[in-house]
Amino acid sequence: MIEARNVYKTFKTPDRREVKALVDFSTQIKKGEVVVIIGPSGSGKSTFLRCLNRLEEIDSGEIMIDGVNIYDKKVNINEVREEIGMVFQLFNLFPHKTVVENVTLAQTVVRKRDKAEATEISRGLLHKVGILEKENVYPSQLSGGQQQRVAIARALAMRPKIMMFDEATSALDPEMIGEVLDVMKTLAREGMTMVVVTHEMGFAREVSDRVVFMDEGKIVEEGTAEHFFTNPIHDRTKLFLSQIL
Amino acid sequence: MTFSKRSLITLLILGIIIGSAYYFFATRGITYIWHWEKIPEMLFYHGAKSAEDAAPRLRMGILMIGFVLTLKISVFSILFAIIIGTIVGIARLSNEPVTKGLSLAYVELIRNTPLLVQIYIIYFFVGSLLRLSAFAAGTAALSIFAGAYVGEIVRAGIQSIHKGQMEASRSLGMSYAQAMRYIVLPQAFKRIIPPLAGQFISLIKDSSLVSVIALADLMFQGQQAVARTYHAFEIYFTVAFLYLVMTFTLSMATQYIERRLAISD
Repeated sequence: MIEARNVYKTFKTPDRREVKALVDFSTQIKKGEVVVIIGPSGSGKSTFLRCLNRLEEIDSGEIMIDGVNIYDKKVNINEVREEIGMVFQLFNLFPHKTVVENVTLAQTVVRKRDKAEATEISRGLLHKVGILEKENVYPSQLSGGQQQRVAIARALAMRPKIMMFDEATSALDPEMIGEVLDVMKTLAREGMTMVVVTHEMGFAREVSDRVVFMDEGKIVEEGTAEHFFTNPIHDRTKLFLSQIL
Repeated sequence: MTFSKRSLITLLILGIIIGSAYYFFATRGITYIWHWEKIPEMLFYHGAKSAEDAAPRLRMGILMIGFVLTLKISVFSILFAIIIGTIVGIARLSNEPVTKGLSLAYVELIRNTPLLVQIYIIYFFVGSLLRLSAFAAGTAALSIFAGAYVGEIVRAGIQSIHKGQMEASRSLGMSYAQAMRYIVLPQAFKRIIPPLAGQFISLIKDSSLVSVIALADLMFQGQQAVARTYHAFEIYFTVAFLYLVMTFTLSMATQYIERRLAISD
């Protein structure tokens, strides 16, 4: 379903240094697979996620989604993005829209659903993430955990084939992490294809099919969550795990 | 719009300042005989206008006619300035070098030359070529002038919106234009209301410069009335007050809009 082949991506820092974010990066993610990406900050894991829906341009290589090379100039990237939901670390809800409007807007604008149908779908999803009673309040009146659940509902409203989570729980107070992870676990059990950048090893152990450990733009080691808990091979992996566990 | 306590206090303070200045002048001044009784008929009068139009009815006096023209030219210029400014503000942030360069050139050219010169150029040069009326030329000059400033305000407003808003919109499949229209611009607009209000208040006052191309605006009519009656102080005080009516109303209106939009905070 997702295939990255020999992807290179460099950033230029403001002082004109080059930072290699992805170096000859290749991987495959199958339909229905839940992949957790871990790694130290600056290892390129968020960059990889952002390349999957072309929020970043790549230097070379290709990324295929459902057999379509999304960096091909002929591809309408907006159509690709409709199929890939993304959840951000800082939620990025639309502050001038109410909760239900946040979930409804893209459905009407992009999917061209009529307002009533879209609102119906939104309310169903808000119910699913357990926040329907807040449908008419503005995001600023919600806690971080509640905002993130709305953000998940907003992404699901497009009926995406893939969901990506970019450190979705990193900005949350500890007591709110659980409620967001629960929603993500439900999705995983329903068979959603998921790419999850996170440090939550409990989540990885419970629902992931594969864990990928990245460092300096490359995959250092990959395997099941169990593999990482019991016998990680590389020293770099061991060091990282000892720091986060 | 509720006429709030705060705006009443503001008016009161203004009144005290102007009143005491007037009292000081009127008592200490040399021998100036005030003729305030001449002012009301310059605003409204009842009677015949001319031999051809002799029907006795309520008519606008010279200053009120100027007031209406200034109001008209200001409203049109503000609308056009918003349109120009929005386009220029977005163009300034474009990745396209030509769009970016053109919009920057426009802003720098217009901001760095005097409005008075621009009014002359647009009226005498562009206006003659395109056969523009004085009203059209005056409105165009003011719109183009204010548009440059509004463009910079809009650009700053857009840049102040966290880039995550654009990314979230795009990741949902919205095009750049849709994300701008539904997500970024509404939030930016809310933030730029205070500087926009300042800009438009300036525009209303700057509109007095169009009197140089014989547009019979409030300033022009004031000058005419002074030339005819020599009641310079009364007339200019009245003209100032009429400008104040327009700018103060705009001020209050924007504060009202600001309060209305604050509900999602």
